[in-house]
Amino acid sequence: MAASEPGSAIQRRVTIGAPPERAESTGDTLFAVRSLAVEYGTFRAVDDITLDIGRNEITAFIGPSGCGKTTVLRCFNRMNDLIDSAKVYGSILYHGVDLYGPRIDPVEVRRRMGMVFQKPNPFPKSIYDNISFGPRIAGFKGNMDDLVEESLHRAALWDEVKDKLRESAYALSGGQQQRLCIARAIATNPDVVLMDEPCSALDPIATLRIEELMVQLKKDYTIIIVTHNMQQAARVSDRTAFFTVDVKETGARTGRLVEFDATGRIFTKPSQKATEDYITGRFG
Amino acid sequence: MTTDHTDARHQFEASLDEVKMGMLELGGLVLENTRRMGEALLENRLDLARAVIAADEEIDTRYAGLEYRVFEIMARQQPVAGDLRFLVAATRILYEIERSGDLAVNGAKGLLRRDGYTLPPQIHSLVARLARGSADLFADGLEALRSLDPDAAAVIDRADDEVDSVVGELYGLVAKNSEDIGFDLAMELSRIGRYMERIGDHAVNIAEHVAFVVTGAFPGKGSAATRDES
Repeated sequence: MAASEPGSAIQRRVTIGAPPERAESTGDTLFAVRSLAVEYGTFRAVDDITLDIGRNEITAFIGPSGCGKTTVLRCFNRMNDLIDSAKVYGSILYHGVDLYGPRIDPVEVRRRMGMVFQKPNPFPKSIYDNISFGPRIAGFKGNMDDLVEESLHRAALWDEVKDKLRESAYALSGGQQQRLCIARAIATNPDVVLMDEPCSALDPIATLRIEELMVQLKKDYTIIIVTHNMQQAARVSDRTAFFTVDVKETGARTGRLVEFDATGRIFTKPSQKATEDYITGRFG
Repeated sequence: MTTDHTDARHQFEASLDEVKMGMLELGGLVLENTRRMGEALLENRLDLARAVIAADEEIDTRYAGLEYRVFEIMARQQPVAGDLRFLVAATRILYEIERSGDLAVNGAKGLLRRDGYTLPPQIHSLVARLARGSADLFADGLEALRSLDPDAAAVIDRADDEVDSVVGELYGLVAKNSEDIGFDLAMELSRIGRYMERIGDHAVNIAEHVAFVVTGAFPGKGSAATRDES
């Protein structure tokens, strides 16, 4: 899990671009993303991303494959640092502090931004140990039993697993495993939960449970979700960012942000034709 | 894969076109009935009044079929954005059209109850203006739908004000002449005048729903039918 990754040891060169603009501190903005660009080697994966992520909101990133939505998501917890050739330009201000500033510890960034991945990826350990692993590494000194129970409660999994905490996490169903991963992500007391297509491997019922959980979790956390499921974005998110991919004559493909607005607006009257064409299925 | 997808989308777009064509055809039938009802009134033609009533069955059947089609497309395609606006507006437009058809039928039924009257020339010419005015409004509403013109609503709304003032004049004139033409006919003329005026309101509403399809917002004043319901 990202929050417990010994990330500083493998920190790679991260180039900081132009100095950030002042964050508009509305009090509601948690992240102010400014002119963000990511390159892998000479390949510019995304360019010129500017948007504000609201605190205690669910923000959905949608768009076709290759549009850079996952790349942008991975910038919020500096996961791209783990890729050798990655360079990040621009800035992400978090509480007004640039996450890519020189004195920022990526490990601390990842502790604050928990991540949940597409495929449920519990550790090959007991249910209990899946939750306790991160806090233990982070030096948690409190009552671990309480922390495990509370994390499982918050992930709406406690009732299903309370009598088998010592059993392998692999014995759980896919949907339960994904909720376990969410419990694991929030056990380290993050501020933000990043989700990369968290339901794409789940059936509709398990998907619905995760969506209900997301809506509950946003009271305590800020959530950013990448999803290919537009109905999911429409159902759960407060704001939706639509990304697309531009293909240059050279064949280079670069993602960019087309439109970012209240979800209700995106799915009823988007302002950009490219958004309308994508969400109504008029592409390709 | 790609072909299947494109094909499915193509069918979806074709089904939206089909709904639009269906609405225009339905509207055409109602327009014809509206004109027939006016003529029946002006010429004291009971055969035309009966034809209005007979034609309404086809209108109701088509209306039910189209409404179900829209419902089914929504369930199966889960439309968003422009497609969703169109389909939501379609359910409302279908209602406006069907209601207008019922108003023409109400007028025709009223005429069958009042056989063998003659309209005094002054009233006759006012009714003729009203009948033409309301049918023209309805035709304009359908044209707004055909061309998806978001600006038509404002124009039709102004023309509707004109029809409203004609019906006001008719009420006054009928009241003044109620003894000459008889109380029952006076009541019937007032009712039919009201039906015609209402058809004009539905035409305004159709144009407003069209504006919603195109712009995502309703033009300022809100729904004419709701406004004048009381």
